[in-house]
Amino acid sequence: MPGRLSDSGMFIIPTPPDSVRTSDSGNSLIPYSPEVRDPVIYNLHHGLKPPISRLSISWSRGNCLRVSFFRVDSTETDTSYVEGEVGGKVVEVKLNVEDGEIGDAERRRIAYGSVAPYAHLQGQKNTVSALSKMSMSSSSYYVEWWQHVIEYSKEINSLLGNPEPPPSSLIEDPKTVLKVVEEPTCLKAAWELMEIFYADKRPQAWLPERLVDWLRDFDSLLTDTEATVHSKLVNLQKEIVNLQVVEDDFNYWEGISSALAVGWLDIVVKLLRLHGSYQLDQLGDRETENGLVEAVAVLVTKMPRLRSESSDRRLGECFETRPEFMKAWEKWRGQVAKLESSAYWVQCDHRQTRESLRKVLQIMLGNVNSLITSACHWMELFIAKFLYVRPFTTGLEGMYSLAKKCMELKPASSTQRLMGLILGILEENTEVVLAECSKSFGPWMVAHVMELLTAGNNQAEMLLHEERHNLGGISIEELHRLVYAQVLSSHALTWQIAPVYLISCPKQGLGMLEILLYKQPMQHNHTLLKNLEICRLYELSGISSNLMKIAGVYHWKHGRKGSGVFWLQQAQDEARLNRIAQELFDFVGKSISDDSFKQWEGLIELLGNETRTAGGLEFLHKYRDFKKSLQQVKGGNVTDVAQQAVESLIMIMKNPSTPQRFWLPLMHDSLKLLTWPERPLLNVSQTNLLLNKLQELSIAKLCPDYCETDLPSQALSSVRLALATNLGRAILEE
Amino acid sequence: MEDSETLEIYKFPQAKYIDALRWFSPLSAFSKFVVLALHDSDSDISTIEIKTLNLSNQSKPFLQLHSSWTSPSRVSSLRVSQTPHKPILSASTFDGSLHFLFAHPVEVSLDSEISVGEKGFHIGPISGIDLFGNNGVECVSVGEDGRVNLVSLGGDSKASYRQVFDSQGLVSYTAVKWASPTEFVTGGLGDSLQWWDLRKPGGVVSQFKGSWAHGNTSGIVHSIDIHPSRKHVCVAGGSSGAVFAWDLRRQQQQILLSGSGHGEAKPHSFSESEIWEVQYDCYTPSSDIGNTSSAQILPVMTCSEDGILAIVEKDVEPEQILAEPCAVNSFDINLQNPSDVICSLEWESVAYLSRQ
Repeated sequence: MPGRLSDSGMFIIPTPPDSVRTSDSGNSLIPYSPEVRDPVIYNLHHGLKPPISRLSISWSRGNCLRVSFFRVDSTETDTSYVEGEVGGKVVEVKLNVEDGEIGDAERRRIAYGSVAPYAHLQGQKNTVSALSKMSMSSSSYYVEWWQHVIEYSKEINSLLGNPEPPPSSLIEDPKTVLKVVEEPTCLKAAWELMEIFYADKRPQAWLPERLVDWLRDFDSLLTDTEATVHSKLVNLQKEIVNLQVVEDDFNYWEGISSALAVGWLDIVVKLLRLHGSYQLDQLGDRETENGLVEAVAVLVTKMPRLRSESSDRRLGECFETRPEFMKAWEKWRGQVAKLESSAYWVQCDHRQTRESLRKVLQIMLGNVNSLITSACHWMELFIAKFLYVRPFTTGLEGMYSLAKKCMELKPASSTQRLMGLILGILEENTEVVLAECSKSFGPWMVAHVMELLTAGNNQAEMLLHEERHNLGGISIEELHRLVYAQVLSSHALTWQIAPVYLISCPKQGLGMLEILLYKQPMQHNHTLLKNLEICRLYELSGISSNLMKIAGVYHWKHGRKGSGVFWLQQAQDEARLNRIAQELFDFVGKSISDDSFKQWEGLIELLGNETRTAGGLEFLHKYRDFKKSLQQVKGGNVTDVAQQAVESLIMIMKNPSTPQRFWLPLMHDSLKLLTWPERPLLNVSQTNLLLNKLQELSIAKLCPDYCETDLPSQALSSVRLALATNLGRAILEE
Repeated sequence: MEDSETLEIYKFPQAKYIDALRWFSPLSAFSKFVVLALHDSDSDISTIEIKTLNLSNQSKPFLQLHSSWTSPSRVSSLRVSQTPHKPILSASTFDGSLHFLFAHPVEVSLDSEISVGEKGFHIGPISGIDLFGNNGVECVSVGEDGRVNLVSLGGDSKASYRQVFDSQGLVSYTAVKWASPTEFVTGGLGDSLQWWDLRKPGGVVSQFKGSWAHGNTSGIVHSIDIHPSRKHVCVAGGSSGAVFAWDLRRQQQQILLSGSGHGEAKPHSFSESEIWEVQYDCYTPSSDIGNTSSAQILPVMTCSEDGILAIVEKDVEPEQILAEPCAVNSFDINLQNPSDVICSLEWESVAYLSRQ
């Protein structure tokens, strides 16, 4: 990455706004726009005195860049080295590539919320595929399957914001034509679009009406710079409150025809009813005029619609089946035509009302020119054509060419990211749809929308599930899941939901999961335990034992011996336990006096008395027990107790895991037992064992790695003497 | 089971990780207060915030920021002194410092702060603290470094500490709870509990090690609670879904309330993952009302890594109150009004449960 140092102690990184770029555009699956926008400049203040000798740039978590500044090496320039001056500094820069529509926290909220629906759907997918393998009747599963998908889609959609209507007041202001709701997001608009075209398997004939609904919710998003029907109505709403005679206002009539063109019938009716001729004092004079306005209003409310009956009645008369709808449509058109050619128009005195109402009727009759003037955006014209010119359209037939035609008639000066997606969908080109989703809405969108794309669409399913050589043998679906999982992994709070996505990647998921788990910091038990929980859920016992080993060594190195032993024990890492045992024994040799076992008590308790779990550390346990019995012996001169102490001494001495350096101290501690006044406590063979150990010790003394104990110099000889005496007494006794 | 029918659950997204949370009950009883220890991972700033729980009939309940304090490091444990005339918040951090925040009893603003954090107090994170006292406040703190410290907050609002024990890292402590003004219980690795008595200095008075786990594994104690009327019994929650009790009068007896135990006394189990917190639930009546013996263990509320908030009682099927797709990291029962529970969810939100 090119960078340069400025004179003012700042470092500037110019970056292209698209942080991801493919160099070989010929092979790339996802086309990136080659347009180069202005570079973004980040100013970093490092606050170091020049000269800066070295720079190091690396990625930190997420899209954070870590820039390290080093001053001139202090060893080389001893003369200029001043005490207390920092030799370098690390600065983190957050490269902002967010689109600004959705903040980080909101993005995380969506990510969290989509885990459960996603996991649920994957679970169902597995069940369904298992079932369909058993019985061949796949058609019934297919029907069931899209119900699962639509359920999933609805759940995800609800995460993307549900603009709640403000509490409706009891007395509705007749002048409130358009209710102000929270601005919807493009992400939600895109998701709903995908849902309409891919997941919703209701009759295809309803598709145009579903698009009408979509436009109603998201019309405001179509363009930022140009007018839309929505923006027109918003302006009109502001104006209307102050207007005395609405029917004289040009915008009023404009608003009516525009709203009608895109099928917002309730708004049209509301506006019409604001007409001055409805006022009681005017009713007498403008009877015909009022009659015409009302006639149009009634026709608007009676407009037949081919859609589900369940939607609210504000949209005209709904018909669910085509034949019914066609009959009603012909009838309604007849009524409209009749009104259009009625003689009453001549009697209408108000010129503007007369002309504008006839224009409204022209829209209803499907006059293309009227539609073109009433719609603002090509998408609006597109919808208007379905409503009034091609009411019987089924499915996607001819939609793409119609859209192209509309775009020619209403060219948009700026490209909106939703438009690319819409065109891709209408073109029925899965690759373009995917690319647009990825480019405009990011990895979250692609990873989740995949389920909609493949729902019951065999061609798309083949395309997305096919394993590709140029992707390293994985499918496009897996690729996008992996990408999304990477995004999740790069954040300290979302990494733990990445496994849900990784586990649904059949080829590389497990490998990436392994890397992810190893990358998590081990400092806090909390993180470690959460890591281990993930291992438990996905049955990764190998990784979990490695993680415990890492944690064990980490704690051991940081002086938390207990924690170190605990985690190594959990990992059943006997090799390392034996290794650290040696270090612990050094510590013991120095620190354990007769009464300071208190400190060790907890650790010894932790070790338990099972040999397997403690490795070489089991010695500590025995040592403690032996010391305890010695203490009891010192308390009173009871031969039985002393005899027990001797037994445990012999046990320890026989045990191969007892370190050599403890032999002499152990025997020295038990001098009292060796010279027990009443009778010899050790028999001949036991005494011989100890004597042999002494012999071994004397040989070992010659070795270079012999560990000197801090016992008095005569310790060896006094032990030898005591043993010899005991041997003599024991022989006599036997 | 009747409770679940009238259970109301509300969630409040915080857009920050919740490290700890507690109910807070100062004098002004008109509103309900909650203390949250939050961590913003983007800016790496930790704060302690007092929030009002707004429960008006007009709108959905919501949390409103009341006052806040910036902590020098992430909060590892949060406790509230339940004396209404002098509300004190106490927070320990991962950097090994301990902070006392004094709140105004009526206005509930955070007025002043005292810190303990000199070298030698704790090395590394403090894993648990607990408050006790009426006039002066005594705070016991334990850490993975194996130190047990006692911080006294005198009437003159000065804090001084003394070391009760230092295992020099040979033992790590992960939880602590006062039993009486001079006794407390700590928990640690290997499902162990230790009983301490300040009148008998020099080390633990008594210790317990659970051995119900399968094979060679054992767990970590994350939370301990002691009922004020049954000081000889403490309950603890730890790894592998284990919720267990330790009765000082029957020290060698293992009482497993929940978990994957083996042998003849196989308890009910609702979770196999970490139990992050346990608290006696005075709202749930004991199923065994006739039995008033002091050996009886009252119902305990627990929360777990696999997202379950449940009430556990000996030999009774655990009652699930909440099942979340993410971990429930901590919870608190409102002592003033035990039907109210708040809990912190892994996915940056707080849940409020009203059991009316």
